[in-house]
Amino acid sequence: MHILLVEDDPDTADFICAGLAQHNARVQHCDNAEQAMLSASATPFDVIIFDRLLPNMDGLDAVRVLRASKVKTPIIMLTALSDTADRVAGLEAGADDYLVKPFAFAELYARLKALARRQPLRADTQELFLGELTLNRTSRQVIRAGQEIELMPKEYQILEYMMQNPEQLITKTMLLEQVWGFSFDPKTSLVQTHVSRLRNKLDKPFAFDMIKTIRGSGYLLTGQSDD
Amino acid sequence: MISRYHLTQTTLVGGTLWAGMLLLLWIISQLLVWQDKQEQQSEFSEFLTEVEIMLNEHGLEHLLQEFELDEDVIWSDTEARAHLLDDGWLVSIYEQDKLLFGANTELSAATSAQWQSVSLGEEGDTELLSARLDLPDNLHVHYWQKRDDMHAQKAEFYEQLSGWFALLSLPFILAVIVWLQLKRTRPLQDLSAQLEKVAHSPDSKRTEASTSHPDIVALSLAINQMLDEITRLHGNMKTMSVGIAHDLKTPLSRISNRLQSMYQDLDDTAALEGHIDKASSELAQVINTFNNLVRLNAIESGKHIQGFKTFDLSALLDELAQSYLPVFEDSGRRFDVSIVPSVHCHGDRDLLGQLICNLLENALEHSHELSHVWLRLQSHTDSALLQVGDDGPGIPQGDQHKVFDKFYRADISRGRPGNGLGLSIVRAICDVHKAQLCLLEQQPGAVFNIEIPTRSARRD
Repeated sequence: MHILLVEDDPDTADFICAGLAQHNARVQHCDNAEQAMLSASATPFDVIIFDRLLPNMDGLDAVRVLRASKVKTPIIMLTALSDTADRVAGLEAGADDYLVKPFAFAELYARLKALARRQPLRADTQELFLGELTLNRTSRQVIRAGQEIELMPKEYQILEYMMQNPEQLITKTMLLEQVWGFSFDPKTSLVQTHVSRLRNKLDKPFAFDMIKTIRGSGYLLTGQSDD
Repeated sequence: MISRYHLTQTTLVGGTLWAGMLLLLWIISQLLVWQDKQEQQSEFSEFLTEVEIMLNEHGLEHLLQEFELDEDVIWSDTEARAHLLDDGWLVSIYEQDKLLFGANTELSAATSAQWQSVSLGEEGDTELLSARLDLPDNLHVHYWQKRDDMHAQKAEFYEQLSGWFALLSLPFILAVIVWLQLKRTRPLQDLSAQLEKVAHSPDSKRTEASTSHPDIVALSLAINQMLDEITRLHGNMKTMSVGIAHDLKTPLSRISNRLQSMYQDLDDTAALEGHIDKASSELAQVINTFNNLVRLNAIESGKHIQGFKTFDLSALLDELAQSYLPVFEDSGRRFDVSIVPSVHCHGDRDLLGQLICNLLENALEHSHELSHVWLRLQSHTDSALLQVGDDGPGIPQGDQHKVFDKFYRADISRGRPGNGLGLSIVRAICDVHKAQLCLLEQQPGAVFNIEIPTRSARRD
């Protein structure tokens, strides 16, 4: 992945750069909006990470300018403002995702991967495949190894989202946002309960578990057995 | 004692009042003088009419007798003026242009009774009434009458009165105004002095009006009300900061312990990972507290109101009930749902979603295993009644009014996760939606009733 990081706080920038380096991503870092806009227009990055509060310029305005100048690179905004209204403002300005500080690096990376992969998937794709698993988005039919699986609506939505981002970390927050549309974090095990029910239907009767738990971070849907 | 402001005010108000009174006095005296002159003028006219009748009936001889004029008497101009001054009147009788009797004077006579001002040399100015009578046989009578002495004295008296008034009333008016101002300022000064004292102990001291002036009393009451409100807010802030401190102390001290343990277990990777995991989850709790505080503030600020839309509340509740059903089942509780379909309301879907989640989570957290939790939605004429209840241990009788306070927690230990902000957020969401929120009393368990107005939803 080739990533442009726009962040004026050196600590946060170091934290993100170090994390991305571990995942062998190429990172270009700049600490102001003007330089960021020049770089973003000149180089085709896979994803841009944009801090919301930058010196001299609101990140929101910078994103607006980028979108107006036809830069289509996916953008994730980082911000200390956690309110729904701010989130909506960010998405309306043209950002593709919005992450509230402080965040776990795994959360950021999972979202970066999801954004970088977003382009090839078309909205009208009818069937999703992963290993022996097939999901039909029109008939809402789920088949694993030739066997149909009956899912409740939320379980289906979780699986559909996971299949759109296969082999990638999907965090609890991502599921809360994508499946439930929540911008707040319920205290209880809402996500865990539904994922566990999905697992009972999707994995238990079969040879290996497709849904893996990444400890402390989230889940990952894989098409292959570990063995 | 008297500030520059008061001095200017006094001068302005006093000056205007004084000038106004002076003007009024002048107008009244002028009116009185004018009335006197009118009276004399009409008497003069009547006298002329009598003279005319007398001439017609009794002839010139009789007229001369009437005026006490000797035959052929002709006064020179000086004599004439002296006569006018002494006797108050003057007459000249002409035949064509030839003076027969009376004053040979330069004074002019108006054709009908009219006032004129005349200078009488050393005697000063005086006002005269004059008229000319044209009689048969080419006889003309010119008649002058000096202004009535009494009237002139009255006019002079009025002028003097105005003068004295002008001279004496100015200091009097100023003194009265200064006195009034002092009378009015003193209670205000008392009040400021009291307020200075209140500033040192705003929670206990209150102001007390030292006068019965209703405005000052009202001001003092309003200030006391404001102080009460400030005390209340101050109390809230104290509770908040104590709450935050308490809420952060536990996870932070645990993180601190974990960090020390990490030093000890530097060589043991598995133990190290365990410490990191535990420290991270404690930190997550701290961050969650802050997120909730920020969110609570955002909700209370009312900035969501402009984004209110009409939406299907029943559908939202259905979806949430479906989501929470497995959570309740897995935790060994019975969850009953009864929702009237197609109830619409006007509001923020995300916020009302959180309201229901918080109440359900609250029920989940504070009820025992095997207990019964329910979610109901009923439709009333102008509102929707939402009820979330459980038959768990409920809230202690004395604490029921505190449940919506920030950082209130039924268990004092703060040992369990959560930050005591969930129900405060519920209340804030109800407030922005103008919904009535109450915790039913005399009920086993905790039962929350929320009445959400739906009238505006139907109008859209």
